[in-house]
Amino acid sequence: MIRQKRSHHRLKRAVAPYLYLSPSLLIIGLLMLLPMVTVIGYSFQNSAVLRRDPSFAGLKHYQAIFNDPVFWASLWHTLYFTCMSVVFHMTIGMVFALMLNSDRINPTLRNILRVLYILPWLFTAVIIAVIWRLLLEPNGVVNSVLMQMGIIGSKVEWFSSPETALHAVTFANIWAGYPLFMVSLLAGLQGIPKDFYEAADIDGAKAYQKLIFITIPQLMPIIISISLLDFIWTMQVFPLIWITTGGGPIYSTEVLSTYTYKLAFSSYNLSQASASAVVILLISLGLTLFYIRYQKAR
Amino acid sequence: MAEVILENICKTYGNNFHAIDQLNLSVEDGEFLILVGPSGCGKSTALRMIAGLEDVTSGSLRIGGVDVVDMPPKDRDIAMVFQSYALYPHMTVFENIAFSMRLAGKPKAERKKRVDEIAKTLQLTSLLDSKPANLSGGQRQRVAMGRAMVREPAAFLMDEPLSNLDAKLRVQMRAEITSLQKQLGVTTIYVTHDQTEAMTMGDRVAVLKGGVLQQVDTPKRLYEAPVNAFVAGFIGSPSMNLFEATLTGDELMSGTFAIRLQDAAFVRRPGLKSYAGRKVVFGIRPEHLYDSSLESGRKYQTIPAKVTSIEELGSEHIVHLNIDAVRVDSGDPDAVEDFGLASNAVAKFEPDSAVRSGSEIRLALDDTKLHFFDPETHLAI
Repeated sequence: MIRQKRSHHRLKRAVAPYLYLSPSLLIIGLLMLLPMVTVIGYSFQNSAVLRRDPSFAGLKHYQAIFNDPVFWASLWHTLYFTCMSVVFHMTIGMVFALMLNSDRINPTLRNILRVLYILPWLFTAVIIAVIWRLLLEPNGVVNSVLMQMGIIGSKVEWFSSPETALHAVTFANIWAGYPLFMVSLLAGLQGIPKDFYEAADIDGAKAYQKLIFITIPQLMPIIISISLLDFIWTMQVFPLIWITTGGGPIYSTEVLSTYTYKLAFSSYNLSQASASAVVILLISLGLTLFYIRYQKAR
Repeated sequence: MAEVILENICKTYGNNFHAIDQLNLSVEDGEFLILVGPSGCGKSTALRMIAGLEDVTSGSLRIGGVDVVDMPPKDRDIAMVFQSYALYPHMTVFENIAFSMRLAGKPKAERKKRVDEIAKTLQLTSLLDSKPANLSGGQRQRVAMGRAMVREPAAFLMDEPLSNLDAKLRVQMRAEITSLQKQLGVTTIYVTHDQTEAMTMGDRVAVLKGGVLQQVDTPKRLYEAPVNAFVAGFIGSPSMNLFEATLTGDELMSGTFAIRLQDAAFVRRPGLKSYAGRKVVFGIRPEHLYDSSLESGRKYQTIPAKVTSIEELGSEHIVHLNIDAVRVDSGDPDAVEDFGLASNAVAKFEPDSAVRSGSEIRLALDDTKLHFFDPETHLAI
């Protein structure tokens, strides 16, 4: 009798955690795993979704996208857009965080700057896209200021010219995304013991040496974590590019997300779109695994 | 090596709070000076001003004959050991110790030679590749010492370097730091709130209270001849018992008992006579109070007391008592903790004392060890 009771208790203890987890697991399964597996399945089918009994296509759709120069251009644009965004998010975030953490700036001014610097974070992608379209249009503020300063001679069509469009969307994305770095790094800076800097002062460290030998190593865990997350998120950015340039002109701002979207909903080639989506998934997965391994190593 | 001289040093914060008021202190070349006082007395502020981490509001500060008031910390030729040790967690022990040499652009070979020497002195050689997180408290403390030593400074400044260690390790490190200081012969200013550290480590001890220097003297002199009731209460553990009494002729009258003073007491303190018929504060250390049943041979005077509680420490008994006298507060916030609600005196008895909690006893006292203070100014008579 006692033994039966004990084994019943053990079973309850073993099952309990899974019972608590089950609602979230069910939702993740339904909303994430199922669509993911379905898309992977579509990428191996001919006329996926469009036909009731699609035939097996093997790697045909993967071959098709790998032979498509637009895919390679999109991949390159995605990498450029992502790398530049992450590097500048971090640089600008770090500079602003150091400024906001400095006790040489008047506290009232510091609070005002803190609010101002965080503003871009409050806007949704659509608003950011509209703001920058207005600012960067040929008759917009940016052109007029640059012309008055003599930096450009004639009006530049920032979003409509193939030479400038990718830089322009990247710029808008950098502007929109640095506050996350700024806030995270500021929190990190405030956690560095003051003693470290005082000890360095006594040892004769100059400001740049304190930055290199103390601040950056102390912030490294935050820098790496946020950079990896930002890399994963930025690779998947869609609305900002879609609203500002739509991937154009002449594919000059085409990134993997817009490329896939167009395959699916402009060309209705859902099989090829699925193959492209799987490529994005694999790249993101690689980065995610890297992130998880880094987190575990810490 | 150098002498450190503070003249009329003041530190006032923006809210008009005087952290340090007219501090005059002269630390001789090679001397080990302890700055001691209760929390908030300004001892760390004084040390940080010497280091250059706090601005001096007014006064003059000279290290090795050079006025350093307007000098940045790095030019003052000092090294500091912080309470938290301030070891860089991302650097190895070697890198931590060699940090100042690296900043100064010293060649790698020179860095290695110097760090190896120091590691040998501090027994850190096997730990040079470890990170601070993997070290014990005592080892970290030694690394912090190593980092200070590597610069061969004119003076060491130490800000409560042992306060993060457990009691046993603290005793060991106390001895290590003292012998290291003697070996190196570097002028050292050491801040602590622990009067045991103050009494055992320093050549001289400076006692601060509320930003004002109370007394600078050798530990023995501080113990035997405190200049006021605060120093008397602060130095010694448990604290000196201080009571109010009336001096009538050659007797101290308090409540139901009287203590007869010998002529020598008046000869040694000519000022005491002027208190005849007036109130006076007298003090006696716990170690000069005895269980009368064990001291019958010595013919000490006895007074009635009630035992409220006993702490048996093995080597001695700390006995909390209540005597018929009004206790006087020395002004040391930490000393209040020595007394329970029902007790107003503490005595150190021999371990073979048989007194029990709650019993009425006769308390023997060595009247040659009495201290006297003015009841208003608390200055020693």
